[in-house]
Amino acid sequence: MIVFDRVSFSYGTQEVLRDVSFSIPFNERVAILGGSGDGKTTLLKLIVGLLKPDSGRIVIDGKDITDKEEDELREIRTKFSIVFQEGALFDSLNVKENVAFGLREYTKMTEEEIDQKVRELLGEVGLEHAMGLMPEELSGGMLRRVAIMRSVAAFDPKMFLYDEATTGLDPVNADITCRLILDLAHGGRGFIIVTHKIFDALRLAERFMFLKSGSIIFDGDKDQLMQSSVTEIQVFLRELNPPSRASSHKGED
Amino acid sequence: MKRETIRIKEWISDLQDLYFLSFQGLLGLVRRPFYSKDVIDQMDYSGAGSFFIILLIALFIGMALSLQLSAELSGMGFKMYIGRIVGVAIIREIGPVMAALVFAGRVGSGMASELGSMTLGHQVDTLRVLGVDPVRKLVTPRLLGCLIMLPALTIIGDTISILGGYYIAVFVSHQSSAVYWSSIQDVLNFENVVSGFVKPFIFAYLIACISCYTGLSTKGGAVGLRRATTRAVVASFVMIVVADFILTRVLFYILGFSL
Repeated sequence: MIVFDRVSFSYGTQEVLRDVSFSIPFNERVAILGGSGDGKTTLLKLIVGLLKPDSGRIVIDGKDITDKEEDELREIRTKFSIVFQEGALFDSLNVKENVAFGLREYTKMTEEEIDQKVRELLGEVGLEHAMGLMPEELSGGMLRRVAIMRSVAAFDPKMFLYDEATTGLDPVNADITCRLILDLAHGGRGFIIVTHKIFDALRLAERFMFLKSGSIIFDGDKDQLMQSSVTEIQVFLRELNPPSRASSHKGED
Repeated sequence: MKRETIRIKEWISDLQDLYFLSFQGLLGLVRRPFYSKDVIDQMDYSGAGSFFIILLIALFIGMALSLQLSAELSGMGFKMYIGRIVGVAIIREIGPVMAALVFAGRVGSGMASELGSMTLGHQVDTLRVLGVDPVRKLVTPRLLGCLIMLPALTIIGDTISILGGYYIAVFVSHQSSAVYWSSIQDVLNFENVVSGFVKPFIFAYLIACISCYTGLSTKGGAVGLRRATTRAVVASFVMIVVADFILTRVLFYILGFSL
C-alpha cells in the first residue's frame, strides 16, 4: 500500500504539490491524469524516494520513507518497477546490455544464463532481433518495451510505475505498449500510469486521479470520471468524442 | 534583496554538495562494488582521446618558449640558460597547467555534458531506482580515470615541450646540444620533479569533481545543459589557476625553495 499524507513539494520557490493525500493498494490499476507541469511525474518520483517531500508523510508497505537515506531506500525501490518517459535507456549500452544491467548487478548468473534470460525477455515483446542495437537506433515504441523489460529483469516488483508510457507513440505502438502493461499486471501486481492520454487511461485503469496545479481535484472510478462535472476533466473527455468535421466546419461556408 | 539571499544560499548549498560528492567519489575507490570496466572506458576517453591534442600544444608551447628566450637572452649573452629556463618553466609550471587546461576543456566539458544529458534523460534516476549508487557508477570511474591519465599526459607533454625547446635552441638559435641537455639534467632534480608531479593529481581531482557535480546537477533542458557545460569548464579553469598559485606557494615552503 502506498500512502501519501498531506504531502507538499516544491522545486525551489515553485510549489508543485500541495497537501496531497491518498492511498493506493499495490494491486490497484491507477491512472493519474493532468496537464503538463501539474506534478504527475514528481508524484511518481516521490513514491520511490527519488525526491523528498517538503512536508507530509509517505508510507510504503507500512514503512515511513519520508526521511530515509539513499541506502535505506534501496529495499523499498525493489518493490517497484518504474519506466520513465522515453524509456531512459542507458545511451552507452546496447539493448542487450540495458536489459542485462540489473542481472549483472544483482545476480551471479553466468554470461550464458544472462544471454538466455535477455533473449527470453526480449522475445516476449518481439524484440529478440534488436539485442545488438543501440538506444538511438530504436523507435519510441521499441524504447518503451525494452525499458519495461529492463525494469522486470532482475526484480519481481509489486507494482509498476509508468511515466507517460504511451505518449508520442503511434496508435499501433501505443496499443502494443498498453497490452504489455496489462499483461504484466497479474498475480496481484498493479500499476500507476501517469498520462494525459485519456483513451489509454480508460483502457488500462480502474481508478482515476486528476491532478491540477499540485492538488488532486478528482479521485474515483471510470463511471464517476465519465460523469464528472469538473471542467478540466470534461476537456479531457472531449477527446473521446471529438466534434465531427462537419459540425466543426459549420458556419465556415 | 530576497533574490540575492536565495542565490547566496544556493551557492553555499552547491559548495556543500560539491564537497560531499568529491568525498563520496574518493570513498568509492576503496568500497565495493568497483566498476573496473567503466574505469578503463574513462581512461580511454580521457587519456587516449586527449593524447594528440596535448602533444601538439606541448610541442608548440615548448618551441615558442624557447624562441622567446633565445631572442631575449642572445643579446645579453646568456643563451646557455635557455635549457635551464625552459626546463624549470615547463616542469614546474607551464606543463602541468597547460595539460590541465586542455584536459578541462576537452574531458571536463565532455563529462559534464554526458552526465547532464543522463540526468535530464532520467538515466541517473533509473540507476538509483535499480539500486545502483550513481556516485560509485558514474563519478568514481571518472575521478580515477582523470587521476591516472592527467599526470601521465603531463609527463608526456613536458617531455614533448622540452624536445620542442631543444629543436629551437639547437637548430634555430644554434646553441650547443650538450649544453641544453646538461641544463635539462640539472633541473630534473627531486624538488622540481615533485613540484611538477603533485600538481596534476590535484588538478585532475578538481576537474573531475567540478565536471561531475555540474553534470549531475543539471536542470532545465537544452539551455540547462549548455549552462552546466560552460560552468564546468569555466569553474575548472578558475580553480586550476587558483590552485596552481596556492600549490606553488605550499610546495615552495615544503620543498625549501628560497624566494
